[in-house]
Amino acid sequence: MKQVTPYDVIIVGSGAGGGMSAYVLAKRGLKVLMLEAGRDYKPESETPMFNTNDQAPLRGASTPDKPFGFYDATVDGGWTVPGEPYTNAPGNEEFLWWRPRMLGGRTNHWGRISLRFGEYDFKPYSRDGLGVDWPISYDELAPWYDKTEQLIGVTGKAHGLENTPDSPAGILHEPPTPRLHEIMLQRGFENMGIPVAAMRAAILQKPMNGRQACFYATNCGRGCSIKAMFQTTTVLLPPAVATGNLEIITDAMVYTVDMGRNNKAEGVTYIDRKTGEHKSVTAKVVVLAASAAESARILLNSKNSQFPDGLANSSGTVGKYLMDTVGAGSGGHIPMLEGMGPRNDDGMTNAHIYVPWWGYQQQAKKKLDFPRGYHIEVGGGQRMPSMGIAGIANNSKVSFGKGLREEMRAQYGTSVHFAGRGEMIPNDDCYAELDPSVKDKFGIPVLRFHWKWSEYEIKQAAHMRKTFHQLIDNLGGRVTWGKGTDGKEAIMRGGEIIHEVGCARMGNDPTTSVVNKWGQSWDVDNLFILDGAVLPSNPDKNPTLTIMSLAMRNATYLADQVMKRNL
Amino acid sequence: MSGYQSKIDRRTALKWISIAMASVTISTQARAKSYIKTPNGYGTDPNLVNPSAPWPRIMSKKQLQLTATLTDIILPAEQAHPAASTVGVPDFINEWVSSPYDQTKKDKAIIMKGLSWVETEAVHCFGQPLELCTNEQKNAFMQTMATESNKPEHKFFVSLKRLTLGGYYTTPAGFKDIGYIGNVPMKTYPGPSAEQVKKLEKSMADLGI
Repeated sequence: MKQVTPYDVIIVGSGAGGGMSAYVLAKRGLKVLMLEAGRDYKPESETPMFNTNDQAPLRGASTPDKPFGFYDATVDGGWTVPGEPYTNAPGNEEFLWWRPRMLGGRTNHWGRISLRFGEYDFKPYSRDGLGVDWPISYDELAPWYDKTEQLIGVTGKAHGLENTPDSPAGILHEPPTPRLHEIMLQRGFENMGIPVAAMRAAILQKPMNGRQACFYATNCGRGCSIKAMFQTTTVLLPPAVATGNLEIITDAMVYTVDMGRNNKAEGVTYIDRKTGEHKSVTAKVVVLAASAAESARILLNSKNSQFPDGLANSSGTVGKYLMDTVGAGSGGHIPMLEGMGPRNDDGMTNAHIYVPWWGYQQQAKKKLDFPRGYHIEVGGGQRMPSMGIAGIANNSKVSFGKGLREEMRAQYGTSVHFAGRGEMIPNDDCYAELDPSVKDKFGIPVLRFHWKWSEYEIKQAAHMRKTFHQLIDNLGGRVTWGKGTDGKEAIMRGGEIIHEVGCARMGNDPTTSVVNKWGQSWDVDNLFILDGAVLPSNPDKNPTLTIMSLAMRNATYLADQVMKRNL
Repeated sequence: MSGYQSKIDRRTALKWISIAMASVTISTQARAKSYIKTPNGYGTDPNLVNPSAPWPRIMSKKQLQLTATLTDIILPAEQAHPAASTVGVPDFINEWVSSPYDQTKKDKAIIMKGLSWVETEAVHCFGQPLELCTNEQKNAFMQTMATESNKPEHKFFVSLKRLTLGGYYTTPAGFKDIGYIGNVPMKTYPGPSAEQVKKLEKSMADLGI
């Protein structure tokens, strides 16, 4: 193929990191080519906004084809992608890897919770001697958090809580008022001495940049045709394309970075998924933003005689220090919510409140048996019924027939649930490498994962469950699921929270990190990694906002370097 | 009584038959179970705006009729609220037990076996099919299945009830009954009523929180 456009930058991936990078670079006037492994996707025309579950197969229930339910936005993906396997090393705990194959990647159905990492989170090693410090501080990233929040639109309020940064005045959108059960949960937590905060979610509460404000109906996980929820396909990619500087090729599965002379990356090679053709494209700079593990896979598959262990891997840490978020949950039945009658609990899909980690001082005083924190996400209310609605009949005194309807009405909205989301400390047992024999349908070697939770995470998961049980008990309720307090049983599997980060961490030392503090490879200076792969630690505060803020900062640096002809 | 009228149109039913005839064989190439998607399902990129459940249905007309009788014992019509069969719950249960997905296989076995058992047992008890029995007889029959938890037919009751309630309350008629008032766009989010908050405050005060 003859390439007509001389590209400045090739970006691999169109999710949080790739989407933000493309937005920044195209706006700066650089010629950008984006390669996305999945198909083109338009939320405006493909989102089933008001469809009810009775219109969907199996009432919308989860299946292997659509693991998060029929209406979930994910295309051709989930825990498995047809023809594109991954493996787990024998004798390890299982790691699960969620991938979509669509423009915009996981931002089309993400959880939207947008929490800033705090000052402790950038210097964890200095604080407790575990993991590593970041090469940057909170203060260095703070202005980029401001800009990212302004661009995407995030709810929240200033609370002044420890290691839970507030945003400057005027940035955050006022979140909607709490739901009935959230008023109850907030009181319950506060009664236990645990402060509750307004939700920080990337959902507009006022119109902005041609996007409508949330109209408090339909599930954000389906995608958002009115563009109230942030997804790159509605917020970042259209304005980037409108500059005339961004070209997007979908169904382009990149598998190697190609090297040119003088230790420079020359471009990438991809497989056209529709035709099976292998095509190479060139540019001055290559940006990998294919997701943490996929970016590492591309680097490892780019090995050649000069780089026998994979590209940008002189430190030997590509694929290493893979992390996910610690997860554990419980549910309860709360009798005081019985017979409260109908109220509209749809709201903005996300809970309107959340519970930031409250134990920093206890941990500093060594009063807890785990070193890092977790936040709590809450759920409940009279949401649109799915197949799970049948479960509330378990609280009914009438088994069937006359009187059952009345019981169902009384019990509707009496269930609450809690999800703990905690920080995992990077360890030597959790990493990805190339499988020595398994290849995908294109013939490209696949990733083999190694996984093992440490005691730090297991004890944290146990603490989550105990906290949930205490609150349910205080509210006069009964724990209905997630009853055990053995951390090993409570903790979810690696990858299951879909916050996998690491695999190409940033640092100040080329012998222990893959990229510098700008996301620039130590070994190949025109190769950047601008996705979650660069995170040296994974605080409890969901990573997407930080991935985007880092991508915005580092793409700006990249643009400056191209302008100065340094790349 | 008039029989259960399926809510599925003839064109859709013919489509299922053609799909059944072009049966798909499972690839033996796959290396591990963990990344096989379900053959004959709706696929990994279905049309979400105009959905379809494309697999052929397995219930006979008689089984569908019996399912209707049973779902209506669980959720009979009451005042403004239609019976389960009126909103097509038996068709949904047929769709569920006919599905090619793993998670419905257990229900398929339980429901199909249960239907055969009920067919025979009703005649044994009352000398006629269940649908011809009086409401008292039907309720007594269901009561036995509901309470005798050591009997195999209790499993049938549990599955059938779950599918009936899930099938019913996911419909607009079910929303109206149970009190789901969302799925409507609004300019501002109203939150709970002052009266509901007041009631909650009292309950919390009673608990000392």
